[in-house]
Amino acid sequence: MHALRVRTVLPAFLVLILAACGTAAEETTTTGAGGSVTTQPSTATGGTVRIGWGGAPADLNPGLGVLTEDYTLYDLIYDSPLNINLEGNFEPELATSWSASDGGLTWTLTIRDDVTFHDGTPLTAEDVAYSLNLYKDTEDFPFLPSYLTPFVSIEAPDATTVTLTTESPIGNFEYRMPAMYVLPKHIWEGVNPVEFTNDEMIGSGPFKLAEHAQDEFVRLGPNPDYWGGAPNVEQVVFQTFTNPDARVQALTNGDVDMITEFPATAVASLRSTANVVVADGSYFGGRLADIFFNVVEPANCPTTEEGGVCSGHPALRDVNVRRALATATDKQQLIDTLLLGLGAKGLGLVTSSLSYWYPEELLAEDYEFDLAAGAQMLEDAGYLDTDGDGIRECPTDDCGPTGDLTFRLNYPTDNDEHPRVSDTLSGWWQEIGVKVEIQGLDSDALTSVCCPSFDYDVMLWSWTSDPDPESLLGVMLCTEIASGYSETGFCDPEYDELYDQQLVELDPAARRKIIVDMQRIALEQVPYIIPWYYPRIQAYRSDRFSGWQDSFPILSLEDPSSLAVIRPTG
Amino acid sequence: MSRGRLVLRKVAWALVTVIVVITFNFLLFRVLPGDPAKAGVRDPRLTPESVEAARVRFGLDKPVFLNLEGGGLFDSQYFAYLGALAQGDLGESYAYNNRTVTELIGRSLVNTVWLVLPAQILSIMIGVVLGLLAAWRKGTKLDVGALTFSLFMWSLPTFFLGILLLFVGSRTFGLPTAGRVTIGADAGFAEAVGDIFSHLLLPTATLALVLLGEYMIIMRSSVVEVFSEDYILTAKAKGLSTFQIIRRHAFRNAMLPIVTLIALNLGFTVSGAIQVETVYSWPGLGKLTVDAVAQRDFPVLQGAFLLLAIAVIFANLVAELIYLRLDPRVTEA
Repeated sequence: MHALRVRTVLPAFLVLILAACGTAAEETTTTGAGGSVTTQPSTATGGTVRIGWGGAPADLNPGLGVLTEDYTLYDLIYDSPLNINLEGNFEPELATSWSASDGGLTWTLTIRDDVTFHDGTPLTAEDVAYSLNLYKDTEDFPFLPSYLTPFVSIEAPDATTVTLTTESPIGNFEYRMPAMYVLPKHIWEGVNPVEFTNDEMIGSGPFKLAEHAQDEFVRLGPNPDYWGGAPNVEQVVFQTFTNPDARVQALTNGDVDMITEFPATAVASLRSTANVVVADGSYFGGRLADIFFNVVEPANCPTTEEGGVCSGHPALRDVNVRRALATATDKQQLIDTLLLGLGAKGLGLVTSSLSYWYPEELLAEDYEFDLAAGAQMLEDAGYLDTDGDGIRECPTDDCGPTGDLTFRLNYPTDNDEHPRVSDTLSGWWQEIGVKVEIQGLDSDALTSVCCPSFDYDVMLWSWTSDPDPESLLGVMLCTEIASGYSETGFCDPEYDELYDQQLVELDPAARRKIIVDMQRIALEQVPYIIPWYYPRIQAYRSDRFSGWQDSFPILSLEDPSSLAVIRPTG
Repeated sequence: MSRGRLVLRKVAWALVTVIVVITFNFLLFRVLPGDPAKAGVRDPRLTPESVEAARVRFGLDKPVFLNLEGGGLFDSQYFAYLGALAQGDLGESYAYNNRTVTELIGRSLVNTVWLVLPAQILSIMIGVVLGLLAAWRKGTKLDVGALTFSLFMWSLPTFFLGILLLFVGSRTFGLPTAGRVTIGADAGFAEAVGDIFSHLLLPTATLALVLLGEYMIIMRSSVVEVFSEDYILTAKAKGLSTFQIIRRHAFRNAMLPIVTLIALNLGFTVSGAIQVETVYSWPGLGKLTVDAVAQRDFPVLQGAFLLLAIAVIFANLVAELIYLRLDPRVTEA
């Protein structure tokens, strides 16, 4: 499968974070242990929950969605076969069970028989198969088709069974399901799916669309017949606040009950505001910041027709130099100063939000910050400062006229942290004898020097991960160098072989072992330094509604897992 | 030259300007870096085939100006654009699937006018009166006070004033922090009107305060200048009261620069009050334009620029026509 290239463009313009479609009933029981809920269970219902966010959905048609806000809305209004919970694990939603047979070539989903769409029509396996086939076959849908590429046929033999067949086994069936919003066949089969604006949004989820004003607000009402139990609130309003300070002020004043995002600089003042709770956790799938190097070997350089330039500094192809730079990078310091201590220390491309797949055992092998050790590594590898200008020179004579270890460093200008990260890195690296020339670029320009042209030395950027490691691990494949998906030009045949193995490994434990081995290679070869995993910070008022699910690793208060269970206080 | 011919000539020039602007506006988005087809589909994993399909869909496979490769000389992007434009079709948005640019701009324009018109009227009225008073009482504390206030307001960054008013207004007076109405509130007519008014208060006040300074200062200096003219002295010698002098002699002559300013500002009104709209989350044209820049939504940008240009040209034309009425000497120019 071709992995998703999901670059963060703007904070409010994140693409494809798969959010979970909550099941109301199960999660109420787990909240007590988290201690975030009032000890006396309230039974009150009703009320309007007001939520302030920075963006707004652009498309009500689930096939066409690209914004985070689009997916938030789909998750509230539609059901999917499976769901990801706030611990990062997959759980049943419309499908009560799923299993592989026939050597992993056939997957069978058992669909609930007590589900109806918002218009009263029963939801059957037929609707599920129809929706999956629609997503698979509609090439103009930007993201969803790629989740279904391995399947050669999707059928509904009876009202509660869906079978999916593949040509080779797939080790990550579950992650392909949570964004497969089940659409009513009787409505969709009569329209052109690419031109359908879907203004009614008939789904089967816990909430119904009541009113939508583009770029202003979305108003939802409860689905009283929801199979998982009707939500307790009367109305949910998402209002767009373009100005982050206004959003914070609105929460402080009580104009809204929850804000989905706000600047880290407001954390301290919100924490001291009465009746306001600041919660932190991680994103579904996780978001990471990355520092990466142009390591493409001349032999692997894409052809001129493919756009290859390959002007990278030769010293960066020496793993000793990359290890020295990683040793001269203080991740914790970056988190403390730039994220006010709220991020989690990064390790590799598989984020801690992927719980099971996160390679904790590799933590001990990460490079510890030590400027002297970093300098010594360069010294030992033969990079000496022979002309006394404070910058080391290459031992070989292919490093340009001066032979200096001078690297270009580029970052996207639409990000707040990167200019400061660059300056901080430059300071540390200067101390071990490496000079950096910093230049911020517009994200289009950055893409054009990045890949597949490889016309850069060092780059800072960020990724939003899928809830499965496969897609992001694909960026280090030899086979992706010419496609532009690989941004470093890294190539290790052993890594590629392991990647192919994990694709078809059905046993999760065995697949995990392979994935850990792949990340060990990445850690040893250092094409990437991952300084941190972004934190997610949200805040809510505790005096109006109770039951916000804020004690799990993943934080998403706008998810059905919170909105379907919160109740008015008192 | 007769007055009728002069008016015709001015209208003709305005039309020529519009055509030049349309062409320039069209070209501007063709010389920008980046492939519009890729911007349109916004999916970096595009295969060359789908890029080609997108190019055909958006008509980008055709030559830009003149088609010299066969299929008719005018089978080009430019003439397709002109043809669509003539029918009021500004194309389809890239960022909002299946929404036309006309629909997006139309809706935002209504919201913008809703906000900017009251603010403009308010600032013109207060600014002109304040300027007149200051000029009349030139050198007094009133003059110095009004001038200082206006200069201060004029130089204050809009977003800063907006944030200040937002904090004070929402904390002290409980005014809303964003939007045009309270969403989902089930209220009667009187309450609904009150709700709209309370939402309008802060953004309008912000915009009016920012605009007011300019009007006041121009009005003041213009009236001061007129007051020093000989015919004012003559009027005084005739024994006219100050009020009569202002009304009959000073005001009309001092209005010329103000008319220019009002006309120009009204033209730019259409571009929306970008900063005010951003601070108060007002879904107007300014915000639409800013979002379109961020999302590389070229058709929307192209449409918004065109609307702005036409509005400014139209406002200028109106100003010139008003000149003709206000000042007979203009005919000679």
